[in-house]
Amino acid sequence: MIPDRVLTVSTAGAEATLPPVRGRVVRSRWLYSVLTFLTVFGPGLIVMEADNDAGAVSTYVQAGAQYGTRLLWILLILLPVTYFIQEMVVRLGIATGKGHAAMIYQRFGRWWGMFSLVDLQLVNFLTLVTEFAAISLALSHMNIAPRLGVPLAAVVLITMVLSGGYRRWECVTVFLCLLDLGWIAIALKVRPSFGEVFHSTFVPGVPQGGVTASLTFLVIAIVGTTIAPWQLFFQQSCIADKRLRFSDVKWARLDTFLGAVFTIVVAGCMMLAGNAAKMHGLGFSDPAQMANDLHIFSGEFVRSAILLLMINAAVLGTTAISLSSSWAYGEVKGWPHSLEMPIRKAPGFYLTYVICVGLAAAIVLIPGAPLQLIILGVQVLAGIMLPSAIIFLQLLLNDKEVLGPQFVNRPWNNWVNWTIIIVLFILSLILAAQVAAPNLFPAS
Amino acid sequence: MRVMSLLRPVTVTEVPENHFVVVHPLDDVLEEKVNSSGLGAMPMTTSVKLSLMALRGYLILMMLLVLYHVLDLAGALGPHAQ
Repeated sequence: MIPDRVLTVSTAGAEATLPPVRGRVVRSRWLYSVLTFLTVFGPGLIVMEADNDAGAVSTYVQAGAQYGTRLLWILLILLPVTYFIQEMVVRLGIATGKGHAAMIYQRFGRWWGMFSLVDLQLVNFLTLVTEFAAISLALSHMNIAPRLGVPLAAVVLITMVLSGGYRRWECVTVFLCLLDLGWIAIALKVRPSFGEVFHSTFVPGVPQGGVTASLTFLVIAIVGTTIAPWQLFFQQSCIADKRLRFSDVKWARLDTFLGAVFTIVVAGCMMLAGNAAKMHGLGFSDPAQMANDLHIFSGEFVRSAILLLMINAAVLGTTAISLSSSWAYGEVKGWPHSLEMPIRKAPGFYLTYVICVGLAAAIVLIPGAPLQLIILGVQVLAGIMLPSAIIFLQLLLNDKEVLGPQFVNRPWNNWVNWTIIIVLFILSLILAAQVAAPNLFPAS
Repeated sequence: MRVMSLLRPVTVTEVPENHFVVVHPLDDVLEEKVNSSGLGAMPMTTSVKLSLMALRGYLILMMLLVLYHVLDLAGALGPHAQ
């Protein structure tokens, strides 16, 4: 059963007395709604936009460079998919005030709890390596030695979390998310055909050459990068850490929806940047190389902006993914795990974050890793693991004992979610078939 | 002055008539959440349990396949593996 609120602090009508709370007294209901939304705003945008990380930049840009605008419609389909999944996380987080790992551990037992945690830590850590690899790559194209730049980025990332409370971390991270508006400027600068963009977005189609192995692999990578397992864990823990209230559900949903729209628009702009390379007949090896090649046609702004936004994407991804690992580990181990706690009160939580960031940065400084291959491999691995992660989410959202009638899934929620799970499983099985029998699909 | 009061929260003990108080979740009184600690494991039917076991096997198999594919693409399995 959902208990009644202990205290309602926002009231209209007759004068009311409250226990002392820090707040803002406003007269207008409209202003009250706007300010309340702004206080709740954050986890939804961050979880969505942080998913446009270095791997996502690489995957979307590659999709544009290989297939032009022809895969934009996939992003449009992924918009409601990613929203529906994260909306369930919002309800679960607000109702229980606990993280996702804690809920799996509690409701599915020790084995599944550990299994989910190990899965999460594995994919998260591999993803972190790719984030730092992207930072290293972008820095080297900016003539900054990775041996200096990568440790510096790691120090900045650690400082972001260690230097003071949830609110400061959220402010900095939301600012970094908004920097990704630069992708829209890039997309406008490379002058795509807007008619073609509109057509490719709203009319699904298969690129010239038909369904090939590389296209299938790339589509699964796009799905894997747009909806990632760490997002489930991150947003629920973030909501629990921010202590969102039952009354915040509608604002948290709006935050998540706006985050989803923002992220998909930015992802589309990344594809358009890749499309510019295709239009100029440039080959694609990685986004940094593409930025350099585009310099001749689109100017210094596009080159510098792509390189800087690659770093921004990696920084965003690193802080969110590392935090999802730290929160999940803290929840399962029973350690104190909150950004609101000082280091001395939650040493295990902060140490996990520092180890994740530090170790991933150190591995990247060992030369010889094939970046593009690792990035694509991680995205595919995440795509494979996602259906199972959503199954646990789906089971938890049907858990009436925990959620009660107010927050439990409605029948239409279940229809939508099982459809998503089935589609994701089909993509997984296609990948399995492709890996087991590489000649099943035409090579090009 | 009004703008400043919007930017900077103050300690509120009384809400005047027809006014609203915006409180940041972290400044609010702790809300009582669903108490799930005493519920234990989720009751599952045998078919759900078996499905989850099958899922476990599927995941392990898929991860091995991806590992193979990545090694193959990296050329670690020799030239004939491509």
